[in-house]
Amino acid sequence: MTTTITIARTPDTAQVGDHLPPLTFGPISRKTLALYAGASADHNPIHIDLDFAREAGMDDVFAHGMLSMAQLGRLVTGWAGQSRLRGLSSRFTAITPVGATVTCTGTVSDRLEQHGRVLLTLALAAHIDDGTRTLRGEAKVCGTP
Amino acid sequence: MGIFDRSAKGHITPVIEITIERGALIFFAETIGETNPVHLDTCAARAADHPDILAPATYAVVVGTLAGQKAKRRGQPDILELINGDLRVLLHGAEDYTYHGPLYAGDTVQVENEITGFSDPKGGKLEIAHITTRISHPQRGLLVEANRALIHRLS
Repeated sequence: MTTTITIARTPDTAQVGDHLPPLTFGPISRKTLALYAGASADHNPIHIDLDFAREAGMDDVFAHGMLSMAQLGRLVTGWAGQSRLRGLSSRFTAITPVGATVTCTGTVSDRLEQHGRVLLTLALAAHIDDGTRTLRGEAKVCGTP
Repeated sequence: MGIFDRSAKGHITPVIEITIERGALIFFAETIGETNPVHLDTCAARAADHPDILAPATYAVVVGTLAGQKAKRRGQPDILELINGDLRVLLHGAEDYTYHGPLYAGDTVQVENEITGFSDPKGGKLEIAHITTRISHPQRGLLVEANRALIHRLS
């Protein structure tokens, strides 16, 4: 059986089942986490201080969930343009370890036309190298008014 | 038994004003790997009809955090203190943004956090604090509403 993957070109023409061009980020190094801690003002030591992480019972520090959600944001805004983004949400379903490369994917899960304007719902996900899904998300994107 | 301070339910923090700084915005955009110049370069942003650098979609979380830090410097508790969050067992469960308008470098916005409630899924193995952050501009109104779930691992 052959599966054809259709890449969605624009929000106006996208159909349910179309895919967004995927995006990868990483590998996420300790340096990335240090920079993200500074850039985001999220100084939670569980992401940057190995001593703290070990005392908290973890084997190592792990990536900020919001660093991966930022990639879901890039996936959607890179495709649709940020002015069309109406909503973005994510559940953090697994920890992202140091060294992981994150792959973000999106699929059009719903398409509505209201008053001549398209409103798309996109099902989003982030996976790491070993296949673990780390984020499950959704975006709302509108077409040209 | 949970760790969160359940008496914080319904608490709304005093409004904190935050000015979106251009350099900080560029640092954030670069760190997340952003390549669209509207997030990195003022000239490119203006050429694309923006008044200044456009904040990336998830920058709202940073604005909320900066407001908490400013509150703390003023001697007010931040959200983690209000809910008695324990960083050793704290996880970010979920984040949800509704966008009403763009956020630009140079904007001075008003930030308000509300502790909307607590829940106890998975038979007490977890407890969740639900936080809402509203970012508003004095002229352009509500720009972003963010809802966040913070989790304590209890077992």
